[in-house]
Amino acid sequence: MSVDVTGVDRDTLVRPIQTFSKRYLAALAVGLGLIGVWLVFYYQQLRHGLIVTNLSDWGSGGGVPWGLYIGAFIWWVGIAHGGIILSAAVRLLGMDTYQPVARLAELLTIAALTCAGLFILIHVGRPDRLVTSVVPAWPTRVQWSPLMWDVTVITAYFVLTATYLALTIRYDIHRLRDRLPSPLDPLYDALMVGYSEKEDEVVERMVWWIAFAIIIMAPLLLHGGVIPWLFALLPSMAGWAGGVQGPSFLSIALTSAVSGIIIIAAAFRYAYGWDELIPDAVFRGLSQWLGFFSLIFLWLQLQQVITGIFAAPTTLQHATEVKIATPLYWVAIGLVALAMLYAFATSLRPDLFDIRTMVALSVGVLAGTLAEKVLFVVEGLQHAHFALYDGVPGAYVPSPTELSALLGTIGIVVLFFLVVSKVIPVVELHAIEDDHEEVNP
Amino acid sequence: MSTDESPPPGDDEERNRRLLDETEYDTELGLEMGRDAQRVSAGELSELEFYRRYHDRIVEEFDIDDREIDLPDPDEADPDDVGFLDRIGSALQGIDPDGEESRRSVMKKGAAAAGAMGIAGWGTAQNAAGQGDGEGGGAGGGDEGEGTRWGMTINLNNCDGCLACMAACDQEHNLSRGANWMYVFAFEDEGQGDETNFLPRTCQHCTDSPCTKVCPVGARHTREEDGLVLTDYDICIGCRYCEVSCPYGVNYFQWGEPDVPESEVDDDHQIDDRGRWVGSRPPEGVMGKCTFCVDRQDGQMGEDKIGTTACEEACTMDAIHFGDLNDPESPPNQHLDEYREGQDNDLSEFPNRKEHTTSTFKLMEERGTEPNVRFVGNEPSPHAEQVEGPVAYEDMGLTDDRKEVLDEGASATQGGESA
Ligand code: SF4
Ligand code: SF4
Ligand code: SF4
Repeated sequence: MSVDVTGVDRDTLVRPIQTFSKRYLAALAVGLGLIGVWLVFYYQQLRHGLIVTNLSDWGSGGGVPWGLYIGAFIWWVGIAHGGIILSAAVRLLGMDTYQPVARLAELLTIAALTCAGLFILIHVGRPDRLVTSVVPAWPTRVQWSPLMWDVTVITAYFVLTATYLALTIRYDIHRLRDRLPSPLDPLYDALMVGYSEKEDEVVERMVWWIAFAIIIMAPLLLHGGVIPWLFALLPSMAGWAGGVQGPSFLSIALTSAVSGIIIIAAAFRYAYGWDELIPDAVFRGLSQWLGFFSLIFLWLQLQQVITGIFAAPTTLQHATEVKIATPLYWVAIGLVALAMLYAFATSLRPDLFDIRTMVALSVGVLAGTLAEKVLFVVEGLQHAHFALYDGVPGAYVPSPTELSALLGTIGIVVLFFLVVSKVIPVVELHAIEDDHEEVNP
Repeated sequence: MSTDESPPPGDDEERNRRLLDETEYDTELGLEMGRDAQRVSAGELSELEFYRRYHDRIVEEFDIDDREIDLPDPDEADPDDVGFLDRIGSALQGIDPDGEESRRSVMKKGAAAAGAMGIAGWGTAQNAAGQGDGEGGGAGGGDEGEGTRWGMTINLNNCDGCLACMAACDQEHNLSRGANWMYVFAFEDEGQGDETNFLPRTCQHCTDSPCTKVCPVGARHTREEDGLVLTDYDICIGCRYCEVSCPYGVNYFQWGEPDVPESEVDDDHQIDDRGRWVGSRPPEGVMGKCTFCVDRQDGQMGEDKIGTTACEEACTMDAIHFGDLNDPESPPNQHLDEYREGQDNDLSEFPNRKEHTTSTFKLMEERGTEPNVRFVGNEPSPHAEQVEGPVAYEDMGLTDDRKEVLDEGASATQGGESA
C-alpha cells in the first residue's frame, strides 16, 4: 500500500523553516508555560526534599515509595522505544508509506528519552550525586542492578538514535542548504563536517545496520527487557513478578508510540498544510498498526488478570482482585479498547475514517497507557507478599508537584519539536525524492 | 562475576592514585600493593608471599612497630587464613597520623589508603562474587561459617508488646518520627480468637539480600567482616530501589530534613571501622534502616557493648537475643538451645522426629533471602491482621503511620517543618 509523495516539491518540505506565524508563537508560549509551571514546583522540591511529593515508605509507613515519577518514566521510555522501533522498521522493511513520519518518530524518541531521564533525575533523593555515585560504581554494579542495566542500555540507545538521526540529516542538509536559514550556518557547518557525497552510500549501509541493531535491541533488551525487569525480578511484590511483564511492557510501548506519532504528524500536517506530504494513507496505516498493538496490549492484560484470579497464590490473587476493582484501570483499558475498535471499524468501512477522531483517540490511548503504568507501579507496591502491616496497602494520590512534572515534560516535547522544526527538515528528503537521485541544486 | 577479572585496572587505578595522592602515604607503594592484592585474589600470588613482600615497607612507611599495631609476623602467618588481608586493612585503618584531626576524617583517610592499596577493594570484589553464589559477605550459609555473622533469635513467646525496644532504637539512632527501624506488630491470627500475638521486626540482615543486589551504586552493601547489611550514606542516591525490593518493608527513606540535625549526632556513631558513614539516622534524601547497631559492634560505645543492641538491652522480657550466629555459645544460639531443650520430642517411640517440638521460623523464608533473624513462636499466617497492642505507639512517643507526619510536613514546608 505504498503511497507516492514524490511529487511534492522541496519548498513544501522546508515550509516550517521558512515560515513564522502567530500560531507558532502561541504554541511556543504554551510549551514554555508548561515548563515554567513545573519549574516553580520543582524549586520547592529542591528546597524541601521529596517530602513535597505524596510518596511515603511502604510497610509501617502507610504509603508507596515509587509513584507517578517512575510511572511516567516508564511511559516516556515506552514512547521512545516504540518510536524508534517503528522508524527502524520503516527503513529495514522498506515500508515507504511511512517514510514521511520516520524522522518525526526518531525525533520523538530523542525528546521522550530526555523526558524519561529527567524523571529519574527528579525521582532520586540526591540528584547531585547522580554522576559522582553512578560513574565510579558502574564497573562493579552493572552486572547486578537492574537499574544500572537500564541506565546503561538507555544511554547506549540514546547515542545510537542520535547517530542514526545525525547521519540521515547530513544527506538532507547538503541538498537543501540553499533553503536553510543562513544565521544558523555555523550549526550546519558543524553538522556537515567532513561530508562528501561519496559517503551517502556508506551511510545508507550504516543506517541499515543501526536500524537492524535497534530492531533487535529495543524489543528484546529494552522495553521487553531491562525496563520490565526493574519490577519482574523482585521477590517482594506480588503483582510485579513474572515473565509476562516483558511482552506486556513492549505492547504498551508500541501502542503509546504509534499514538504519539499520530498526534505529532497530524499537528504538523495541520499547521503547515502538509496534506500532500503526509497523506491520509499514512494515518490510515498508523491507525491500523495502533489497532493491532492495542489488541496485543489487551490480550496481555487478559493473560495477567486470568492467571491472577483463577487459582493464584493468595497474594497475587489479592493484588489482581484489587486491580480489577480499580475504576481507573478500566478507564485505561476502555480508552485503548476504543481506539482499537475504531481502527478496525475504519479498515472495514474506510469512509468512517477521520484524522481528528483518530488524534482524539490517540490522546486517549496515551492517557490510558500512562494510567496503566502508574497503577502498575503504585498498586504493585501496595500489595506486598508481606501483608501484616496495617499500613499496607498504602495510600497514594500524586501531589501537585508530581503532576506538574508531567506537564513540564509535555512542554519539553512541544518546545523540542518547535525548535527542531525551525532548524532541520522534520520530514526527510527521501520521502519526496527517490533514493540516489542525482543532485542538482 | 569471577574474582580474577576484577577489580579492573585503568579507571580504578587512576582513582586510587588520586586518593593516595591526597594522603600523606607513598602513592607508588600503595598502587604496587593494590596490583599485587589483585594478583592474590586471582590466585597468582600467595598471601604469605604478598605479606613478605610488603611487611618491611609498610612498617617503614607508616612508621609503626609491632607494639602500636598488631601486624602479624610474616613467618608465622598462616597462608590459608582468608581474613589475613582484611586484618592488615583494618590495622592500617586504625592508624592515627595526627591526633588533632576529627575521628571521621582520620578514618576516611585510613580507609582511602587501605582502599587504594587494593585491600578493601579485594574485599569488595570478594563480596560481589559472594553475592552471585549466594554466600554474600562473611555470612556463610550454615552455622559453622567462618568469622562473625551477627544475627538474632527473637522469642515471640516472651514478647509482651511493651514497645520498649522501639523507643530505645528510636532514641539511640536519632530517628525521625515514623522511621521505625524496630517495629513491633501486635496481631491476631486465624483460629486464635482475639488472642494477641507480637512480632518485633528489625532488618533481617539477609545473607542473600535483594536490597544489596539491586542497589545501582553499591551504597547498600553487606559488610564483609560480619555480614551486616548497611547503607553508605555518602554514596546513596536515594532511588529507593532497595526499599521496593525488600520483602519485609524495613526501609525508611529520609524524605525531608531529619528531626535531629547533623550537629547533634556524634561521628563515633556514624562512621564504622572501615571509615564509611553507615551509622545513626541518614541525612536528607538518603535511605535508612536498622543497622544492627553497627556503632556498638565496632566498639564505638565501649568494649562491653560489642555483641549487644539497643533494642535487646531495652527488652526486659528476654525476647531479643543478639550475637554471632557462627558461635555456638552466642546468646541467640544458646537461647534457642535452652528453649528447645525444655521441649523434647518423644524420640523413644518416634526416633525419626526432630529432637524438640519448638516452633521456629524465619520471616518469609520462601523468598530466598536467607534472613539472619530467627524467631521462636508461631509464624503469622497470610490471614493474620495487625491490631492495636496493649501499649499504643503514641504512648511511647512514637509514630506508627509515617504518612501522616509526611503529609503534615508537605503542607508545612513553607515554615521549614521537618519530618
Ligand atoms: S530485610 Fe530487607 S533491607 Fe534488610 S537485608 Fe533483608 S532485604 Fe535488605
Ligand atoms: S536508595 Fe540508596 S541504598 Fe537504596 S538502592 Fe538506591 S542508592 Fe542504593
Ligand atoms: S538492632 Fe539496633 S538498629 Fe536494629 S532495631 Fe535494634 S536497636 Fe534498632
